[in-house]
Amino acid sequence: MSLVKVTVDNNTYEVEKDSLLIDLLIKENLRVPYFCYHEALGADGNCRMCMVEIEGQKRPQIACDTPVKDGMVVYSQGKKLPIKKIRRDILELELINHPVDCPICDQAGECSLQEYYMEYGLHDSHMYGLDKVTHHKHIDLGSNVMLDQERCVLCARCTRFTANITHTHELGIVGRGDEAHITTMPGRKLDNPYAMNVVDLCPVGALTSKDFRFAQRVWFLESSESVCTHCAKNCNIYIDHNKLKYQDENIYRFRPRKNLEVNGFFICNEGRLSYKNLLNNRMIKSTHVNEKDILKNSIEKAKAIAVLVDASLFNEEIEMIKEFSEKIGAKLYCPQDTYIDEEFEDDMLRSKYKIANIKTIQNLNILDEMPKDADLVINFNHPDITKIDSKEIISFQTHKFELETILTIPIATYVENSGSFTNIDGITQHLKKAITLNEPIPTIAQWFKRLEL
Amino acid sequence: MSFQFSDDNLKQIEFLKTRYPSLDALSLPLLWMAQYQDGFISLEAIDEISKITKLPPMEIYRVATFYTMFKLQKQEKLLVSVCKTLSCKLCGSDEILDHLKSKDVEIEYVECLGSCGTSPVMQIKDVNYENLTPQKVDDILEELL
Repeated sequence: MSLVKVTVDNNTYEVEKDSLLIDLLIKENLRVPYFCYHEALGADGNCRMCMVEIEGQKRPQIACDTPVKDGMVVYSQGKKLPIKKIRRDILELELINHPVDCPICDQAGECSLQEYYMEYGLHDSHMYGLDKVTHHKHIDLGSNVMLDQERCVLCARCTRFTANITHTHELGIVGRGDEAHITTMPGRKLDNPYAMNVVDLCPVGALTSKDFRFAQRVWFLESSESVCTHCAKNCNIYIDHNKLKYQDENIYRFRPRKNLEVNGFFICNEGRLSYKNLLNNRMIKSTHVNEKDILKNSIEKAKAIAVLVDASLFNEEIEMIKEFSEKIGAKLYCPQDTYIDEEFEDDMLRSKYKIANIKTIQNLNILDEMPKDADLVINFNHPDITKIDSKEIISFQTHKFELETILTIPIATYVENSGSFTNIDGITQHLKKAITLNEPIPTIAQWFKRLEL
Repeated sequence: MSFQFSDDNLKQIEFLKTRYPSLDALSLPLLWMAQYQDGFISLEAIDEISKITKLPPMEIYRVATFYTMFKLQKQEKLLVSVCKTLSCKLCGSDEILDHLKSKDVEIEYVECLGSCGTSPVMQIKDVNYENLTPQKVDDILEELL
């Protein structure tokens, strides 16, 4: 790896030889507009928006397909060449057949076309009295993706995604000239486990998520960084949530967050939709008021105690529970069969363990079996508790389910708490608290303090 | 219904494989073959071509939609291609067009058919009919319909 010196707007930067100029511009936050370039998909050079001036070149060059050379001098906003005007003119061509239906478009607020129009465009249309080329609107492509062909700027990000990332080749640009549009093969659907990523890839409102359509305007949403706990990969996500007036916090969508060590740029569809059951059907209150006494008496009475711990808890919590079980002389169990789904695993991002923190459970050598002959089972959110026939059960739960217990205590989910997960590849990530409910449910740590365990 | 290339075509395909450096290059000749065999290119034909060329069906479909001379629908009526370029216009293709519109044929506008010296021209099934007059058009269509 050799470094070369590149001068951009009179500042000198050292970058890797033969890396793309646009990567440097994006990294250094030098404003350059682009539709078709994406780090995961590489350069395509079809939208022509990222034109910059390079000294010694007569014409403007696209930054996305230009490898840097030593001593290159770049003017991102132009010196001799009217770069701003060039961008504006290209943008105008992009907008010729655009329906400009921002008020009903879901992309409004996170749309590249809008941003660049406000920055470079601000032009009046030259297309007086000419009809726009019409295409089909709201086509259901399958996999929760809706397509509006009129809003499309033909950047080919989605087609390159299905061609180069998933290798499923469902999407393509068919037709020619202003007839060109994105579509699937007639009678076939967009159908792969990562399909919904095209919604994030789409820089405009052509591809929108059926799940998120018309649910919320994006400028009302607050994004918190978190991870997806649908499987043991722990893909990085943004949780987009909002608290409406007189209501409680609500999660509207998960979006993938770039982390090259863990998931790259994408997440799978199932993980993306896993937010739905997170805040519904929650345990809010304990079944009895005198939790402390019940716990104490039960532990004192019991001859053999088993503690069940769930792999969805944070490392810190699992360690705390381990200490607690040693203190009361109980055995610690975590049956793992219930998490495994061989069908789910693939070679991209999906792990067969459909739970966040299985690695820590395995690292701590917690017993992988069902507790037997225990007359008291203290459960920390493990789903297999329903299969246990024990006399007495005390259960700490995030969600409600049918269970005969002597005491059930609500605990916070991972989004209302902070801690760390270790993913299947052994990467430990610390999560900040993403969501604060109107009436916060105590975390396990808070309960331990309160119950003096 | 499935699509199968005829034996002659299969022979031709084997010959073409030796002629081109890569299988990708077969996509256009195969699309033509499919079109001449069925009169149009069906989705089954596209799948068959994608098997032979080892390209995804979407890529073949994209090529097929790019060129207007590839038909993806079965033609219900006789397809008449009428030249709409300047030389034919000057020699009275408008009159021919109006005349054709009264007939039971499907009209398609095409660019120059390379027969300007004998304009106006129309093309039916790869045959150019030249020096057209309304009377000539009547005779030609009577023969064909």
